[in-house]
Amino acid sequence: MKHENDIQHRVKKKFFDFTAILKDAGIELSTVEVMDMFEALQYVEFNDKNAFKQTLSSTLIKDYTDLPVFERCFERFFEKKTGDSDNFLDTLIERSIDQLKSHDDQKITDEQMIMLQEQVEKFLDEQPSESLFEKTPEQLLSLFLESLEESSESGGGGLGFMLFSSRGHTSSPGISEEDSDETGDDATLDDDLYQMMLEMLKNRRNEKTIGTEQKKHDEYLLNKFIYQLTPEEIKEMRELIMRFGQKMKNRISLRKKKIKHGSLDVKRTFRSNMQYDSIPFRLFYKDKRIDRPQLIVLCDISSSVNQYSRFMLLLTYTLQSLFSKVRTFAFISNMVEITELFREMDPERALSSIFSDTDFTYGWGSNYGNSFNQFMENYSDSLSHKSTVLVIGDARNNNQDPGMKSFLRIKERSRNLFWLNPDKRHLWDWSDSIATVYKPHCTEMREVNNVIDLADFVDKLFVKK
Amino acid sequence: MFDNVQHVIDQLEKHKYICSRDIATTIYLAMKMQKPVLVEGPAGVGKTDLGKCIALALNMELIRLQCYEGLDEAKALYEWEYAKQLLYTQILKDKLSQMLSNEDTLTDAINKLSEEEDVFFSDKFLIPRPILKAVASPSPAVLLIDEIDKSDSEFEAFLLEVLSDYQITIPEIGTIVAKHKPFVLLTSNNAREMSDALKRRCLHLYIDFPSKELEEKIIQIKVPECGSYLTSELIETVHRIRQLPLKKEPSISETLDWAKALSLLGCEVLKKESAIDTLNFILKYEKDIELVKKKSDDIFIH
Repeated sequence: MKHENDIQHRVKKKFFDFTAILKDAGIELSTVEVMDMFEALQYVEFNDKNAFKQTLSSTLIKDYTDLPVFERCFERFFEKKTGDSDNFLDTLIERSIDQLKSHDDQKITDEQMIMLQEQVEKFLDEQPSESLFEKTPEQLLSLFLESLEESSESGGGGLGFMLFSSRGHTSSPGISEEDSDETGDDATLDDDLYQMMLEMLKNRRNEKTIGTEQKKHDEYLLNKFIYQLTPEEIKEMRELIMRFGQKMKNRISLRKKKIKHGSLDVKRTFRSNMQYDSIPFRLFYKDKRIDRPQLIVLCDISSSVNQYSRFMLLLTYTLQSLFSKVRTFAFISNMVEITELFREMDPERALSSIFSDTDFTYGWGSNYGNSFNQFMENYSDSLSHKSTVLVIGDARNNNQDPGMKSFLRIKERSRNLFWLNPDKRHLWDWSDSIATVYKPHCTEMREVNNVIDLADFVDKLFVKK
Repeated sequence: MFDNVQHVIDQLEKHKYICSRDIATTIYLAMKMQKPVLVEGPAGVGKTDLGKCIALALNMELIRLQCYEGLDEAKALYEWEYAKQLLYTQILKDKLSQMLSNEDTLTDAINKLSEEEDVFFSDKFLIPRPILKAVASPSPAVLLIDEIDKSDSEFEAFLLEVLSDYQITIPEIGTIVAKHKPFVLLTSNNAREMSDALKRRCLHLYIDFPSKELEEKIIQIKVPECGSYLTSELIETVHRIRQLPLKKEPSISETLDWAKALSLLGCEVLKKESAIDTLNFILKYEKDIELVKKKSDDIFIH
């Protein structure tokens, strides 16, 4: 019976470990969700892997944008351990022990093994998470042995004693037990045992870091200088941006309801009070629409910002699909509206068709002045007191006319004018860049070269105001 | 009630709903745990149908609430029938004055009247709307709250009591607790985010586009007139089309329409010409159709 309880306890612990990993990866879990998971687990067969996985995902993951993260954590936590084996539960708990035991059967009993494993887990749980990343398994093991030493000296646990006595049986002649002061030095400890414990530590450490690694990877992408992203990373970015865009939209929709009650809705009040002989028993109010900014994006796609603008266009695409009032223009030396293009096509296609379009006189350097002039000539109807203009580019004008007159008129006829500059601040006037010529006339010129900066900016633009 | 996950699949298949193991697991769990399910996924993958078919499979009544902007508790929970209350007081005027004629003072009359006031706020004047109907139903029912994301977010608050405790509190009457807990299914197209409170009370199910095998089975069971050769060819094609960078990918309902159309046209194999002519059944954007036409040599075999 005791054995059964033990197993149950260990299994439970495994699941708690898993939820901890999800939390590390940035998924919000409340107690209710974890309780639901345990309740649900009673009803499914553990050896049906599909059902098992679905059980976890439908009780724990409530935001579908988190599903890919869950998927990856699940793969790493469960699948590597169990392989294609039929009996999921057994492998879940037994295998880690069996695998280790194969090193040597006689030296140590099952019970001791479990105790040891628990001790290792406890030890790692107590370590600060940074040291898990920084230290090598060997270093961790010696730390562990030290702590074991301490606890057995203070009479805290019999485990240390057990360990050392078991070593006593098998240790090769010449090494005396008194050397145990120097535990951590692998010469004093039985080699098999040492390897086994090292294995235990490694396994456990891998498990514990799954979630954090996942999050670190996301953060790494988000923080990386946009110029330096590789094509594969850009692909991953796309998924990330989509998720990010969706989350942002959700946040805005939540805000929407906060500003509600507007003036009396006369029509609706009359209509629904007809049944009461037109005595207005129930009043209805119009919802006040929140004032969504109308966004006008002017994106430099010249070769100097090629990588950057690809990414920016991707983000603009996401913005445009999330919000109704976005008009997008791209320019090198000519200004071309690409709103329609984005509306009708998948971003990948839209992007490649933009870059193969000759309207931009591709190959010539960017000409901000000419592009601003053209914008005022052809698209000034898009500007209103509600519109926010977003210029994305490095202001490298190839020593041409900056078109200040048009630029000022754009500024006059819009509410805000922001400039997102991918260059580092100290490079703003470097070479042919004329950033500081434009800067005083912008509401703000910002250095934006990774996704976090951008998120910050967009968040301010739409959510806080 | 379903016995196990496989039972869910089998029972739903009897009613022409082919579901994946994932879907079945969540449904089975929700039944066992007596929890509502929040179903999300792209349009046209059968979220609403799932609710309908569960009701059919378990032989339960389906109570459906279609959400829209401005939906309020009077339309979703219950409403007092004010006109009827007025009418009854008018008709009962004589009876009332007769009853009150023995009272001397105004205070006595009011006391006497208030003893009877329960009459006017009783079940007789209460119009039950879908949610109250589901809770008060004498036999277990399936409550399908469709497109919850279209409703206002205040509306979610009305749902919370029902979703967690399966009860409705009406101030004038008291709390009505469900005799048989209804099986609640909420569907959402992600027009907006649901509140955490609502999500916490539900199990979550995300239905994605089905695998080839599953979709083939769906076509076979729903459009049997479409021969097995054409079906498998059709599915291959649709899956190839889904791989393309499209604005809107065709979902199951579109595949079904296409299968029906092609079999009506008497096709036995999927010819390139007839396929291109009928592309508008599965693609809803002009540019998407153009793209597929351009790549038609890779997509269509014949």
